[in-house]
Amino acid sequence: MTDLIQLLINGLAIGSVYALAAIGFVIVYSATGVVNFAAGQFVMFGTFAGVAMLLNAQLPWPVGYGAALLAMALFGALFFVVLYLPLRASPVVTIIIGTVAIGITMQNAALLAFGSWPFRLPSPVESVNLTIAGATISGHAVAVVIVTALMVALLWLLFFRTSLGIGMRAVAQDIKAARLMGLKVNRLLALSWILAALLAGIAGLMLGPMWFADTSMGDPIALKAFAATIIGGFGSLPGAIVGGLFVGLSEVLGASYVSSAYKDLISFGIMILFLLVRPQGVFGERIQDRG
Amino acid sequence: MLACNDLTVAYGEIVALQGVTLEVGRDETVALIGANGAGKTTLLQAISGLNPVRSGEIVFEGASLAQLGSDHRVALGISQAPEGRRIFPGLTVEENLSLATVNWRRWRQSIADDLARAFDLFPRLKERRRQLGWSLSGGEQQMLAIGRALMARPRLLLLDEPSLGLAPRLAEEVYERVRQIADSGLTILVVEQNTVLALSVADRAYVLETGRIVLQGTADDLKQNTRVREAYLGR
Repeated sequence: MTDLIQLLINGLAIGSVYALAAIGFVIVYSATGVVNFAAGQFVMFGTFAGVAMLLNAQLPWPVGYGAALLAMALFGALFFVVLYLPLRASPVVTIIIGTVAIGITMQNAALLAFGSWPFRLPSPVESVNLTIAGATISGHAVAVVIVTALMVALLWLLFFRTSLGIGMRAVAQDIKAARLMGLKVNRLLALSWILAALLAGIAGLMLGPMWFADTSMGDPIALKAFAATIIGGFGSLPGAIVGGLFVGLSEVLGASYVSSAYKDLISFGIMILFLLVRPQGVFGERIQDRG
Repeated sequence: MLACNDLTVAYGEIVALQGVTLEVGRDETVALIGANGAGKTTLLQAISGLNPVRSGEIVFEGASLAQLGSDHRVALGISQAPEGRRIFPGLTVEENLSLATVNWRRWRQSIADDLARAFDLFPRLKERRRQLGWSLSGGEQQMLAIGRALMARPRLLLLDEPSLGLAPRLAEEVYERVRQIADSGLTILVVEQNTVLALSVADRAYVLETGRIVLQGTADDLKQNTRVREAYLGR
């Protein structure tokens, strides 16, 4: 029982990171139709932004986190200006290939800047351990779950209670009509890239203390976030959350109760099962419904 | 108020509008009639800034719109209820309406008066205010499209085929409202295939055929015109 509680919390924590990465992925996909193959590298950049600010620059926690997230937001804006704006009139596949190219560039840039030796990103709450029903639980894991829940709540407020967020939803649903309503469409599109980069940044900062900060960490994250969106329903925000948590839990529980060698097999096996049996995922629209 | 001077719009090689000149005066209701594919929607989209103009110019209140994006045109007072209504399917009726206020609304400014006016005009929308756009019937969607265009506080209202796909009785009801809006003093340019309905609200009308204006005149004159009667009124 104590094992199970520990595993559940750890699964939810890693699942939260997948969920945040998946949410960023979905926000960009629904706003622009672009499947962002650099999404995993966004998270890796988030982790290394933390490495740069907290380990290299030795900034105190609040300042370091703030600086890392600011850097990520700027990076999201840069990504929009460098990749999306010049290519926006091209077929969407061209932009998708562009994200692959930038993803590779990002990984190698990080390798060049930080080297191949992994770092350990500390957590502000790593010395805190909680005891629940006899189980010792890492404070970081609990903090990750809380921060993620907070982010989801903030996103909900943004999308459903502010005119900015309603505008972003409108752009995602019908960009031409959004233009006719007088919305500043390009700004809203840029905002969706910035938001995706910010969420990836938060995910990366929280992931750093759980994994080692390694420049090749982006690909496994991208695959897990992708699996999360398939399971939850492609293009669905609630689906990204549920899918992310599900992938995290299945991975941790699978590693413990089956075999750690099979943990990826289990989460990807479930994803393939979904593709075969229910390709629209838990919450999803049928993919062919999108023009 | 609005003038198109020798306007040519093309999609690549295909010329959709050729040398179109038309004018809409203040407080006027002008109809643009023509068959499917004549270029009516192309013209409205050019006025709203969705289609690039190849040559000629569009002038609103004495100033050329050439350099202005669609958002600036809405801010100047050009608002459109587009063809096929283009309601945001995943937004509620109220969100659809509130969205159109971005051009004038300031931080925390109330839109209650504007909402009330839209609901007065279309009471059905008030009952459905919390429903998502996709769940509305065609007639309700058209009312929402017009109500949404009005939320932008326009000085020129562009209506693209408001009768499209509606049962005759509903189409008449929509035009009833259009007349009401026109009577309130708003300038309207309405594009329509249904010539009878369009001429029933218009002061003047233009007839567009394969990208050119072939006829123009007051609505009463056009109703008597043999060519219009044969080609568009079916009698």
